[in-house]
Amino acid sequence: MTDSRALQKGLALMLPAFLFGSFVAAQWSTIALPGALDVSIRYIDPLSTTVGRLQEEQTALRAQLTDLRRQLDDIQRTASAQGGAVRDAQARIDDLRVSAGLSEVRGEGIVVTLDTVKAVGGKETDRVCLAPDLTDLINAAWVAGARAVAINSERIVASSSVYCVGSTIVVNGSIVAAPFAVSAIGPASGLLAVLDDPAQLRDLKRRRDRLAVDMRVTRAAQLTLAPYTGPLPGRQARPQ
Amino acid sequence: MRSRVGIVAMTAMALFLGVLVVSQFRSREAYSRTLQQETPEQLTRLIADLNDRNRQLRTEIFDLRLALEAAQSAIASGRGSLETSEKQLARLSVFSARSRVTGPGIAVRVEGQFDERALSDLVNELRNAGAEAIAVNDARVGPRTWFGPGSSGTLVVDGKETRGPWIVRAIGDADVLYVAMTRTGGIIGQFELIYTRTRFTVGREPSMDLPAVSGT
Repeated sequence: MTDSRALQKGLALMLPAFLFGSFVAAQWSTIALPGALDVSIRYIDPLSTTVGRLQEEQTALRAQLTDLRRQLDDIQRTASAQGGAVRDAQARIDDLRVSAGLSEVRGEGIVVTLDTVKAVGGKETDRVCLAPDLTDLINAAWVAGARAVAINSERIVASSSVYCVGSTIVVNGSIVAAPFAVSAIGPASGLLAVLDDPAQLRDLKRRRDRLAVDMRVTRAAQLTLAPYTGPLPGRQARPQ
Repeated sequence: MRSRVGIVAMTAMALFLGVLVVSQFRSREAYSRTLQQETPEQLTRLIADLNDRNRQLRTEIFDLRLALEAAQSAIASGRGSLETSEKQLARLSVFSARSRVTGPGIAVRVEGQFDERALSDLVNELRNAGAEAIAVNDARVGPRTWFGPGSSGTLVVDGKETRGPWIVRAIGDADVLYVAMTRTGGIIGQFELIYTRTRFTVGREPSMDLPAVSGT
């Protein structure tokens, strides 16, 4: 009896707590992003809706591609169990998949988070393109001997490009939303040393020091970077 | 006493879940708000780029389905999947820059002062235009390639010093790559404004041979 009353009390508190949590978060976000809704150009709404729809379509296509890659891999792995040339080929495929960024990678590393600075009230001080900073960070990570790098969930591979359309960032042909987390797996001390090197990331550090960009660096004992899920270009380049 | 602790824990959990649910929702909303801040021209470019990428994905899905069917029927008929494996090997070795490659494309010749950030930007722009394989002079650009400053105006590619003039060769659709580089307001136009004493020449190449990434 005591237990059921306690449970009733608990449930009675949970619902308002959930609603209160939702209310606080909703209010906070409203304060954090004002001024964005007053853009009323006629074509913005339908065009941005189309962008959103195409991005969702891309996510679905990538999932389909990943599944097909897995199925093909399973078939080849089963066939390679019989040994011989197929097994040798499979070993080379596995090796190439790792170096191409098509395999999951785990290990220690660092995460550098970049975002535009928001003034009091949450309004962005300036709509800036952070793509050059992101490419500089990727370059610095490779200098430091990183094994794998990703921006948010987009793994950086040989075909990766990072660019801005306005202030929207596109990585691997996919829209990536701020804040941007550049995750690098590799020797964390080496990665941090390169970031601390005054010769590296001069422009970004200067803007960070002027509080024009928010940059945070964290060391991670265990990071997991998902494989690249985009298409493999290869229509014109033929192996010799 | 124990039940009170339980109630507090459950309340805290519910509060946290409420915040989490709305935060997730708001994250999506913030993403679409970013789009709302772009101009119609910028949104149109995003639409074109996304359409292009989705078309590439569909083509690859189609090809993979064929490869899957071929592998399944080959195994069912007792022939094994070696042919499929070899095709995949060839594709991956190009993608990972571990094999020498040949194909059409463009060559960008840079004569004069240049720096590692500009070189990195040029490579990024070529990738964005769909380059399938890139080399700077005789150094193939791989998945982990980095650029740095060298001594006396040289540039470092993957730890190796390269001297100018730099010839950046990219295999891909030559017309697409050429237009992407030379269009008004494009990267070459920007370079010409910044590096006023440097000469930039872009030319289409019917066939080029690029080396494998060093160390393979």
